[in-house]
Amino acid sequence: MSAPVVTAAGAAAEVSPMTEKIGHLLHELSVLPLSDGAFSLTNYTFWLLIGVAAILVYFIVASRKVSLVPSGIGNLTEALVEFVRNGIVVDVMGPEGKKYFPFIGTVFFFVLFNNLLGNIPPALPGTGTVGTTFTWAIIVFIVYNGIGIKKYGFFGYIKSLVPSGTPWWLSWLIFLIELISHLLRPFTLGIRLFANMYAGHIMLGVFTIFAALAIEHFTPMGAIVLPLSFFMQVLLRAFELAVAVLQAYIFTILTAVYINGALHAGEH
Amino acid sequence: MELIIPNTTEMWINVASFTVLFFVLAKFAFPPITKMLDERANKIRESLERAEDTRVEAERLLEEYKVQMAEARAEATQVIEQGRKVAESMKVEILAKAREEAEAEKTKAIEAIKAEKSAAVGEIQKQVADLSVAVAGKIIGSSLSRTDHEALIDKYLTEVGSLHEN
Repeated sequence: MSAPVVTAAGAAAEVSPMTEKIGHLLHELSVLPLSDGAFSLTNYTFWLLIGVAAILVYFIVASRKVSLVPSGIGNLTEALVEFVRNGIVVDVMGPEGKKYFPFIGTVFFFVLFNNLLGNIPPALPGTGTVGTTFTWAIIVFIVYNGIGIKKYGFFGYIKSLVPSGTPWWLSWLIFLIELISHLLRPFTLGIRLFANMYAGHIMLGVFTIFAALAIEHFTPMGAIVLPLSFFMQVLLRAFELAVAVLQAYIFTILTAVYINGALHAGEH
Repeated sequence: MELIIPNTTEMWINVASFTVLFFVLAKFAFPPITKMLDERANKIRESLERAEDTRVEAERLLEEYKVQMAEARAEATQVIEQGRKVAESMKVEILAKAREEAEAEKTKAIEAIKAEKSAAVGEIQKQVADLSVAVAGKIIGSSLSRTDHEALIDKYLTEVGSLHEN
């Protein structure tokens, strides 16, 4: 590894292999259109569509396999559906929340499948780009506010942002804080998922770079770095699997919490 | 910075993905699965309730059978006891009757023996008298009249008879 030589002008005359490879990694992980057209698939949406197709195929097959006495793929599907319906929807919203399961289930399986797909090289997670996570966060935002407005009416819902009994001189401030907190939700929801998936791939890439450099420039130091990098790769893959499931769970449970909040907006 | 500015094309692809996914899953995939889960939950609940009913019924029947069994056992004991009593009384009766009959037989036999004996004694007396008369006649000739003889024999026989009876 040679250190970059910086000229008096400040520009790197010679780029180190490390910097070059990291630059390459960042470029690979950025949103890249696959063709020149204005409406082109990107590297992420390419895998996203594969993920969506996988969900459709899986559920179309699985929904035919469910029976009173479950077997094979039916068991897994039931466990997943039951997990979202009871473990998330009913847990957060109570039994009356079951009618929102189709939406919440769609969100969960979309995020879960795309997160997991990103763990199969060379696939990228469809959820590793803000184009995806913000869009889904905005959909959640529109849906939960829509549910609240449908239940309380537009002005009723807006009024419910301020708890009843608040003094008038304080209510505008609380209204403002509540409004900002609601408007921030799609950002926090979107950024959290994106950052987790993106960072995971950066980490995996960095240890791949370490391993590659250790092979390319074989030194005594490299002999230590190489097995360590492989070990970290394996560890991170397992970690990423856990993150994939956990982030799908978090995204979904927050969706359920937001819908529940909108449904009970007038109760405080 | 461009990292967190969403690509418009990506957003539209996601909107389309959501639309298709939500439509297909909510319309075709989820309903059969959730319907089946609810059906199974109901079926299990029903089965458990039915099993509970059956258990209660079985317990009731068992209790009933136990009572019936105890009654039957008591009845059987009673019948046996009764039978034993009847047999006992029959035994006593039969024994008494047998004893009575035996006694009657015995009495009858004794009487017959007595009759036989007195007949035999009479016979002997008669023969002894005749013999005595004959003997006496031989010894003392015919000095004694017949009447005297008979009186003498009678006296003698009475003595002999009383001796014999003792």
